[in-house]
Amino acid sequence: MTDPVQFMSHHTAVEYSLPEPSRLGVHFAVQLGRGKIIGHRCPQCAKVYVPPRGYCPLCVVETTDADEVSIADRGTITTFSVITPLQYPGQQETEDYVQATLLLDGSDTTLMVTGLEGIAIADVRTGLRVEAVWAPDGERGAAAVGVRGMGLGDAVKGWRPTGEPDLPREQLAEHVL
Amino acid sequence: MTRDVAIVAFAQAPLDQAPGQTETLMLLPTITDALNTVGLTRRDVDFTCSGSADYLTGGTFTFVQMLEAAGAWPPISESHVEMDGAWALYEAWVRLQHGDVDVALVFSSGRASASASLRETLTFQLDPYYLAPIGADYVSLAALQGQAVLERTGRTDKDLAQIVVQRRHDAIANPHAAVSGDVSVDELLRNDYVVEPLRTHDVGPAVDGAAAVVLVAGERARQICDRPAWIAGLDHRVDPHYPGVRDLAQSKSAALAAARAGVGNGGVEVAELCAVCTPEELVLTEALGLGDAVTINPSGGALVANPVMVTGLVRIGEAFRQVHDHGRQRVLGHASSGPCLQQNLVCVLEARD
Amino acid sequence: MAERCAVVGVGMTKMSKCRDDVSMAGLVREAAMRALEDAEMTWADVQAVVIGTAPDIFEGVMMPELYLADALGATGKPIMRVHTAGSVGGSTAVVATHLIESQVHERVLTVAFEKQSEGDTNFAFSSGRSGGVGAGGYFAPHIRAYIERSGAPAYVGPMVAVKDRKNALKNPYAHLRIPDITIEMVMESPFVWDPIHRLESCPTSDGACAMVLTNEAGASRATKPPAWVHGTAVRTELGWFPGRDPVNPKGGQDCAADVYRQAGVTDPRADFDVVECYVPFSWYEPMWMENLGFADVGDGWKLTESGATSMDGDIPVNCSGGVLSSNPIGASGMLRFAEAAQQVRGLAGDHQIADARRALGHAYGGAAQYFSMWVVAAEKP
Repeated sequence: MTDPVQFMSHHTAVEYSLPEPSRLGVHFAVQLGRGKIIGHRCPQCAKVYVPPRGYCPLCVVETTDADEVSIADRGTITTFSVITPLQYPGQQETEDYVQATLLLDGSDTTLMVTGLEGIAIADVRTGLRVEAVWAPDGERGAAAVGVRGMGLGDAVKGWRPTGEPDLPREQLAEHVL
Repeated sequence: MTRDVAIVAFAQAPLDQAPGQTETLMLLPTITDALNTVGLTRRDVDFTCSGSADYLTGGTFTFVQMLEAAGAWPPISESHVEMDGAWALYEAWVRLQHGDVDVALVFSSGRASASASLRETLTFQLDPYYLAPIGADYVSLAALQGQAVLERTGRTDKDLAQIVVQRRHDAIANPHAAVSGDVSVDELLRNDYVVEPLRTHDVGPAVDGAAAVVLVAGERARQICDRPAWIAGLDHRVDPHYPGVRDLAQSKSAALAAARAGVGNGGVEVAELCAVCTPEELVLTEALGLGDAVTINPSGGALVANPVMVTGLVRIGEAFRQVHDHGRQRVLGHASSGPCLQQNLVCVLEARD
Repeated sequence: MAERCAVVGVGMTKMSKCRDDVSMAGLVREAAMRALEDAEMTWADVQAVVIGTAPDIFEGVMMPELYLADALGATGKPIMRVHTAGSVGGSTAVVATHLIESQVHERVLTVAFEKQSEGDTNFAFSSGRSGGVGAGGYFAPHIRAYIERSGAPAYVGPMVAVKDRKNALKNPYAHLRIPDITIEMVMESPFVWDPIHRLESCPTSDGACAMVLTNEAGASRATKPPAWVHGTAVRTELGWFPGRDPVNPKGGQDCAADVYRQAGVTDPRADFDVVECYVPFSWYEPMWMENLGFADVGDGWKLTESGATSMDGDIPVNCSGGVLSSNPIGASGMLRFAEAAQQVRGLAGDHQIADARRALGHAYGGAAQYFSMWVVAAEKP
């Protein structure tokens, strides 16, 4: 007479392929390789999306190369959180880090960024002006441009304070996230 | 007292998409097209419901991204089922019964190509204790059902191949077919088995897809559509999960859904059946009481293209086309889910001149 | 003219970090059988099943309505599975309500569950990639923005954390039991996602909740008081777009306005006797109080601070212990709806608010973008 089964290990693995980059995704990465950040301006509402997604979700219209605009590589932290990394399978982060929401000058959408450098965690604040720390020319790999299309991949290694005065909160009210 | 609701538009994403096309961008123009055919915009939609399944692409909350194709600003009244879009259509139909709103948008999408092996991915649909660990995949299970049907009916793999010949021929006229053309039974029978008795041609090719359907209640349907397809009956039922406790040669849930949807009340001229493997067509034809006079799957059906999570909605859309474009009076669209046709949905559409 | 809908049976499971005594089927059956018993019905009386649960990867079962059909007596019946992220428990109840109101069915069993111990929720939230910050990491900046905008004192969030865990002691089904919890203890617990302390965050739980819904004729036959549904609403908004305010989302405001209009509610603070709202991180209580119109923008924290939202206040919130005490994600929304129903049925046991006649059930999910709500009352609409 055997004991009733209480636990059974059922480890499964299933494979997926990540989508290949779209033409627009490749173009965005190529521009990043050249040290340029681009966005798309919606032809209807004029909001600027960075990275460009090929459509405006507010107007639900597609955007094209004709809607391309240049974006500065500096901007303002609109909000942030200090993350204590949760240790789940596959997690590689171990130390606390800041995850910040960044509004690049010229963009209407924000980016989630990490890699704030030259500033203590305790000094990070809403309104802080930062600029991109670019990887050296030739090392701006397009491959790691965020699969979710939300980041700048490893073309930009980090963000450092510019030293400019903070942007007042009132000017950021539209861009909490 | 049911409120009259009609399908007034149907659109499907083209098979041919740009490399790396996102699911959102596959869906966005599809929804726009469906609404445009009846002169509506997203602002005219009162209720939106969609269907999709995370496990196809391995993401979590992947349906959230699709909201960007739906136009969810200002906020919309919206819901989602982690099922084939046919069940999203069901939920939208129920919502319209309330009487306070008239226009519903239904859509679904799926990128089956993201799964390295759809057969592996779909094993996750099974009881995780007893079925999934034995690696029972949907083709093997369909083969079990195939075996049962062939034994019961005395049919052979030649009969299965004959179905495919007809479907591929009809699919020549269908731009959404992944496979089409004229082929002979003999040619097909030279194909390898995937799992006996199923050969490669007996399993519909899994493809990426997206589709949208517009439902409108009452008189408004007639105002915007020249020939609405009225939902005369809509029902779905489920069988026990375990193939071992069922007689796989028949489908009680399909028969029950057909009865409740009133298929028998006047019969149908055309049936679009969600049969992703050939034996399923035999089971369903019998379960739904479809005689020889009924045209089965004039689109080619799921045997020529299986956009997983969209296939059922497309069957209903194709049934709509039969009424709207081809002048049919009474047709049905069918959707299924789960191993060996465990769950079945039947939608009867009719013209009302 | 819609048919009336009433809740005549409620069942929930004991919630805990790991319900290793039941399979997934066992978990949902436990809740469903309790609901049927409460409704004095049998499986045979159920005409349709609507089940809700959050991402399949939490348990590793794709489309679990297929596997669970047998356990829920669904053979020969329709079964549907709703998925609207964290709000799913609520929207599942809303779909079930529609089946009654549309007269498609007369008796519907609705169930919502999550058995998070089967998988790794944090892995699931990160879609298997490194650097995923988890749900809390996503909401922390919103909370920071609320605190900065409103000028709320730092102890308000911890007050909610203490209140809800103390309430949970009166709920035999609740997961977390921290009888000696204090504001100091909360504020001294480490930050997981600054400014959220560990003790201000919901647990990860296994659990299920079920309800039996029926029409007016069915409710008139019930021996226990029914909870009448006076309104249901769902709203969804984009989670990310220029100018979005995720702190006080319009979707939540619109959803509330819709359900209040249906139910004839004009002054939420006065018209409701009790609220069950979806607070997975403590600061969401003041934030939702504003979003739902119980307080003006910027003043939600005052409701907490003054004690108004405690069980002896004038607008008790989350007497069950709420999501902060039990969070089987897929079930959490339905637990809010069910607890609201139990209050107006007078069946909330030790966490009952005396003479509760009208209650609000609320759930949200995704990037604070999915909302589902219902209003239930002791009186027929």
